[in-house]
Amino acid sequence: MTPRTGGRQSGTTRASHRLERLLVIVPYLVRHPGTELTEIGGLFGVGQDDLVEDLNLLFVAGLPPYGPGDLIGVDIEDGRVWIDMADYFARPLRLTRAEALALYLRGTALAGTPGVREAPALASALRKLEEKLGPETLGELAQRVESAEAGRPAETLDVIRNAVEEHERLRIEYYAASSAEITTREIEPEEVFSAIGNWYAAAWDHRSGEERLFRADRIRKAEPTGVRFEPRGLAGAGRPLYTPTEQDVPVRLLLHPGARWVAEYYEVGEETEREGGALEVVLPASRLEWVARLVLRLGGEAEVLEPPELKARVGDLAHRTLGLYE
Amino acid sequence: MHPLERLVDLVALLLDSRRPLTFEQIRDKMSDAYGQEDLHSAKRMFERDKDILRDVGVPIDVVPTDVWEVEQAYVIPKDKYYLPEIEFEPEEISALFVAARTGGEDAPAEQAVRKLLYGADGGLLAGASSAPFATEAGTTDARLTAAAEAIATRRSVRFTYRTARGAGSERHVDPWGLVFRAGHWYLVGMDRERGEIRAFRLSRVSSALREGDEAGPAPEGFRAAEHVQAGPWGPGEPEERATVAFSPDVAWWATRGIQGAVVERFRPDGWVQVSLPAARGDALASWILSFGPDAEAVEPESLRKDIVRRLEAVR
Repeated sequence: MTPRTGGRQSGTTRASHRLERLLVIVPYLVRHPGTELTEIGGLFGVGQDDLVEDLNLLFVAGLPPYGPGDLIGVDIEDGRVWIDMADYFARPLRLTRAEALALYLRGTALAGTPGVREAPALASALRKLEEKLGPETLGELAQRVESAEAGRPAETLDVIRNAVEEHERLRIEYYAASSAEITTREIEPEEVFSAIGNWYAAAWDHRSGEERLFRADRIRKAEPTGVRFEPRGLAGAGRPLYTPTEQDVPVRLLLHPGARWVAEYYEVGEETEREGGALEVVLPASRLEWVARLVLRLGGEAEVLEPPELKARVGDLAHRTLGLYE
Repeated sequence: MHPLERLVDLVALLLDSRRPLTFEQIRDKMSDAYGQEDLHSAKRMFERDKDILRDVGVPIDVVPTDVWEVEQAYVIPKDKYYLPEIEFEPEEISALFVAARTGGEDAPAEQAVRKLLYGADGGLLAGASSAPFATEAGTTDARLTAAAEAIATRRSVRFTYRTARGAGSERHVDPWGLVFRAGHWYLVGMDRERGEIRAFRLSRVSSALREGDEAGPAPEGFRAAEHVQAGPWGPGEPEERATVAFSPDVAWWATRGIQGAVVERFRPDGWVQVSLPAARGDALASWILSFGPDAEAVEPESLRKDIVRRLEAVR
């Protein structure tokens, strides 16, 4: 008997979680006898100690009233597991609707992202799911979820991915939107991920001596250097796309309704509702060039409140752009 | 007896049994678990266990044992319990694994893949890359799942929606489809008050999705993706063609993501003239101006005039 800690509620919650886990692990082990404990742990997201504890509990479980041969046989040897006498657990539990929906939606999103290597395999896996699970689990959903064309993937993506896998330093020509300039730099990319329709590389940037995000479609050229690097464990997917720095200038803009999308598209700090459906935002920016271009495109829909030098810069930009049309 | 052991045994018993069992019969076979003297507390414990099983998705049918329905019996129907056989290739299952792990933690999606692992060959871990991927952080899975659930069950949904221009209002929608486009999920359906098909970006839904009544059916040949418009940051929906010249600094990436962009000529000064499909109206002019002095609208003339007008207004 395992000692229990905490109240009854936490005991039952934990028991239900463990049951859920066992009802998928046991069928897997029946089908794949002798699987290593470490592999089971990795596949099913369970720590070794918890796994062994659960399996040990199975020893005493089985089919009531527990006649000869009714107890589940669990054998753990040299880090491998065998399970027998569990015919009723020879196949896993069906997917609940919530599980099937969640996986189907995530699968569709991933398969619909240009540049995902897994897309063809994923598409055929989703078709199998739809066909085998049938309408009782997915309802009409399978025919009702689509992904729309969202452009072409960046051509440099494969080179960057290779460098990530090989821990190889790259020399890149990069267009930095913040300064509207092309620079050549050496980067050590550690992760490639997609967010809001764009691919990014999280990398150590030797030019600035800092961690940076690089948008894959803004990398004009990427060449392997042959130099290997030791990964620093930089964060990839899920991180904010803009990291504020001490050099940031607080830019304060008044966005009229036609420009409010800016607050959704870029990471903004403070937001304050103003009269007439306008939104006042603070946009963190380390360089003013890209904000000036943003204001330029927004035309009369955005007003610069701060800093004054941004206003001057927008005026200068407008003047230079007008020059093209004279 | 450990609660987990009790639960495992109960599943085994009800799944293996050829006929439904009454609580008395269950109690008799599982006396270690439900054999306490006080019948009521034993029954309460059984009821709790039954709820736990249902929570984790174990289907338990309750059937009357006689025509007077005095007593109930319980069984787990095998056809409702067992996952049908689905054979997956290793790369299919590892792709599903990657999908389940993208866009942050999602317990139901991961649990789904774990159930499906059963139908795959062993030695998967080596193949399962951890290709990281993020979807828009603002869209909570709860809204997405609720929308999917409503479509699957043909129920209408009510929610508060804020348009890109910031106006908020209550909506009542027959949900007909979900579309993933450029990192965002859209719910597409009939907006009942407006009597029009609309696309709603889920990140702009500012309330929970509440279930309404039975949803009206989608028209024949309905395709949700056709109703999702391009965002205001790009050149807009392709309706006509425009010609734009780009400076050497930006020409190589400016039209990279745009389907149907064609290079017309390279100018002697290094600028590249590109013909591209674009929207009528503001979106294109705004997009061209986002390049500042690195882009010049060449054609049509109306576009040039519009851009000049905008620039003079700024100055």
